[in-house]
Amino acid sequence: MTLFSNPHLVALPVFIPLLTGVIGLLSYHFSRFQAWLSLMGMALSLACSFILLFSIAGTEQPLVFQAGGWIAPFGITLIADLLSSVFVLMSQLVLVAGVIYAMGSKDACVSYPTFYPLFLFLATGLTGALLTGDIFNFFVFVELLAISSTVLTAISDDPYGVEAAYKYFYMSQLAAFFILLAVGALYVSFGTLNMAHLSVLVQQSASGMMPSLAIAFLFAAFMIKSATFPFHFWQPDFHTAAPTPVSAMLSSVVVKLGAYGFIRMTTLIFIDNAELIQTLLTVLGIAGICYGGISAIGTHNIKRMLAYSTLAQVGFILVGIGWGTALSMTAAIIFAFNHSIIKSAMLMLAGHVASRASIKSASFDIVTGVGRKLPLTGFLFFLGSMGLAGIPPTNGFINKMMIFKSGIQSGHFYGLILIGLASTFTLIYTMRAFMLIFWQEPKETIYTKPKGDLLFAPIALICLVLVLGLFADPFIELAGETVNWLNDSQIYIKAVMGDRL
Amino acid sequence: MEIITAFAIGLTFSVGLFQILRRNVIRSAIGLMLLSNAISLYLLSTGAYIGEKAAYVNQVMGEPVDPFPQALILTAIVISLGLTAFVLAMLYIISKRYKTCDSDALKGLTK
Repeated sequence: MTLFSNPHLVALPVFIPLLTGVIGLLSYHFSRFQAWLSLMGMALSLACSFILLFSIAGTEQPLVFQAGGWIAPFGITLIADLLSSVFVLMSQLVLVAGVIYAMGSKDACVSYPTFYPLFLFLATGLTGALLTGDIFNFFVFVELLAISSTVLTAISDDPYGVEAAYKYFYMSQLAAFFILLAVGALYVSFGTLNMAHLSVLVQQSASGMMPSLAIAFLFAAFMIKSATFPFHFWQPDFHTAAPTPVSAMLSSVVVKLGAYGFIRMTTLIFIDNAELIQTLLTVLGIAGICYGGISAIGTHNIKRMLAYSTLAQVGFILVGIGWGTALSMTAAIIFAFNHSIIKSAMLMLAGHVASRASIKSASFDIVTGVGRKLPLTGFLFFLGSMGLAGIPPTNGFINKMMIFKSGIQSGHFYGLILIGLASTFTLIYTMRAFMLIFWQEPKETIYTKPKGDLLFAPIALICLVLVLGLFADPFIELAGETVNWLNDSQIYIKAVMGDRL
Repeated sequence: MEIITAFAIGLTFSVGLFQILRRNVIRSAIGLMLLSNAISLYLLSTGAYIGEKAAYVNQVMGEPVDPFPQALILTAIVISLGLTAFVLAMLYIISKRYKTCDSDALKGLTK
């Protein structure tokens, strides 16, 4: 047993941030030590998720870790198949960038002794929810994620942080209740909560009222988590009021948890009912793209604009999952990865601009013209805008092109026309923001502060945007392989259950 | 017994749902707690009527009950304890900062 196929590797990206967070809480007197410790912990965890991805790519063999040695349907399973590993790598990349941004941030809230531990617990919750193979354990990790992100927003410098946190708290609790209701319904009908075991049992007998209720409850929970169109109303407030490093995480990787859940629902747990779920996802995704695009044009705050833009971009991912062909699923996975990187970079740049404005605010009234003295930020913002709008040579081009190609291949022309029109909104609102901040003459009362948040994290992320746009082939192949694994659910089931069926 | 449990769960759910939609933020926090208790009861009822003796206890005759839902609600109750503490802390800050408990008055974000 070498290092690369050791099952304990699966647990490391979950437990390293948890352990680092606990040590950080214990050393709350030493704030610089805490920050560097968090960076080291996240970097180590990122390295582990890299190793995890490369050790399972090309093997057709997911890595499974059974907690405490209890065999599959009885114990807690942590499983890394390609989908989980790709999403974990995406989250960890963005989270490391978030820690780097927080270390260079001028906000008061990043100097609170609980900031970094909470950030690491957010990482634990997110990674754990992506790696777990058990629905109840998924609920526990989602709760950890929800509580830590709520507290991180409540301590924001923004005076309305508590209000936004209060709103989100109720919504996330409702989502958690929906997951618990689904857990009850599934346990009554099948007597198990292990996802692989459930998949086998649901395919044997999926009739009756309780399984359909479970589908409805899980669907509602994931809709709230990913801020899909009719359940999106909390999202712009919450993402605007959060501190910049946190809102960059929330708006990029945390909303992807819902997309991940939808992929698992349609390809693993409820394969027989996948068609219904996919139809709903397509309709809601297209509605979200149109609504998010139009709302983003009408906003008066750059962070709020980017939050509405997330609503639209998540719509593209849902449409990719909804069309359900191999190519569109590949496109959805690539879209999720690329959007996380672009959106977190854009939010960090927005936060940088806000920190250089005369009053710390991201409102267009305040930041208009502030960027005239910030050429580097302007250049990065321009590249990020091109990525959001899907213009080469950025990686945004690759994923939009693949979505359109998959739509043409499967013949969804009405949907294509709608999302084609709506994706031009992206260009309109990003260019509007660029012109206002970096082009227009500022008012006389507005000046640019000499110092603000450091730009290391957005520079790294924008470099990644360009690299993934210019050398996209290996990643497209990886995503294609991921979809091959997803289409054969037996790979996942065999890895967890072995021969005990 | 099943009927009584069903009615109890339904009643707790409906009261919780009614309270969570009230304008007063304290009442809606109470609604949240009632809902979480209703869901704990619901989870308990998924395994409550199979078997009659406590699981993992020797010397008592009869079929043991399913201990799994009990383990689930134990976890859920611990989490909801944390949630209650946190929501009370938030209510304290909100009532101090806005000097009101009317959720219609908390609209700084819409400006």
